[in-house]
Amino acid sequence: MRYTLLFFLLLSLFCCEPDDICSQNTQTTPRLVIDFYDIENLSSKKSVAGLFAIGINGQGDEINVIGESVETRDRIELPLDGNYNESRFKLYKNYNVVDGVVEGNPDIISINYNTESIYVSRACGYKNNYSINEFDIDNDVDLWIVLSEVIINQVENENLGHVQIFH
Amino acid sequence: MPLLSQNEEKNIINDSLIGFNQKYGIRAGFDLSKLGRTIFDSYYSGFEINADYRITKSLYIAGELGFENKKTDTDYLISKASGSYFKAGIDYNLYNNWAGMENLIFSGFRVGISSFGQDREEYKIYDSYNQTWGEISNQENLEFNGLASTWIELLFGVKTEIINNLFLSFNVQLKVRLTETNPNNFENIFIPGFGRTYDSTKIGTGINYSISYLIPIFKKKSVINRN
Repeated sequence: MRYTLLFFLLLSLFCCEPDDICSQNTQTTPRLVIDFYDIENLSSKKSVAGLFAIGINGQGDEINVIGESVETRDRIELPLDGNYNESRFKLYKNYNVVDGVVEGNPDIISINYNTESIYVSRACGYKNNYSINEFDIDNDVDLWIVLSEVIINQVENENLGHVQIFH
Repeated sequence: MPLLSQNEEKNIINDSLIGFNQKYGIRAGFDLSKLGRTIFDSYYSGFEINADYRITKSLYIAGELGFENKKTDTDYLISKASGSYFKAGIDYNLYNNWAGMENLIFSGFRVGISSFGQDREEYKIYDSYNQTWGEISNQENLEFNGLASTWIELLFGVKTEIINNLFLSFNVQLKVRLTETNPNNFENIFIPGFGRTYDSTKIGTGINYSISYLIPIFKKKSVINRN
């Protein structure tokens, strides 16, 4: 009868289902990672003062980027819109709001990509991976961005920067 | 086939030996737990018939045949698996019955095979930052047909004769998946006959609660010591 107990004990291991939770460690849909470099010293990174990103949708409306805040930094992560083949963002340098008026220098970037839905697990469902076709900077009178280059065009994780921006 | 009464089953051979008859025949039945689940679980329908045949005092060859249809609905995925399965193997009676009784406490082994299909009905893209552009869900139904899987099972259970030739049986199963055809960019969430699959292991479990009837074919005399 000992074996009966052992058998049932073994079966009881399957009562709880950790498979039904999508763990934080699982790689799911990644954001686009942009690293900022010095235009006068192409291999060294350079922080952008008061960097802040705002999304622009198809109708031209401003969209809040979740988790985004004003910060001087040399790297930014931007979520891409999986519903379309293009996402546009305003990247502000020296972003500041004074008396309700937004100050700073916005440059508009647009990314064109192909989307692929890949199965992850029963708890996480599917993730999107993106394949960058083009990365453009809209022309304006006062560009703080000088140059951009796509380094990794497969957006599969956030480990390394996909795009380099020189300023 | 005349039905012998309990007394006629035993004959006293001499002072120290008792002979009694053991029934040999085909026992066939169906799974009550799957029937019950079909009634009470709106995501499940299934049916299983089973049979066994005694070859020696303690050894039986046994098999099960069934179909199952199971819908799995999680936050990010809705899918349905449907198909049939067949299992065959042996049961070994570990229990020493008293004279004239036909109960079993048994362990058994099966090889199982299933032929099934899966429907991926809906999925959501898992994106922690999707509050920016909005949640994406895909509702195109995608069918995966012609899937198959094989596995082996270890069983442990009891079979009790409740009235003449009518048995109730309960067993638990520990299974290991051997082969499976994997649908492209998806996985087998549920395999008929095997049960739900787990991400980290090829092991599965199952239970069975059945009623069956023994059609006696012949009787063999078995002799035991009176002590």
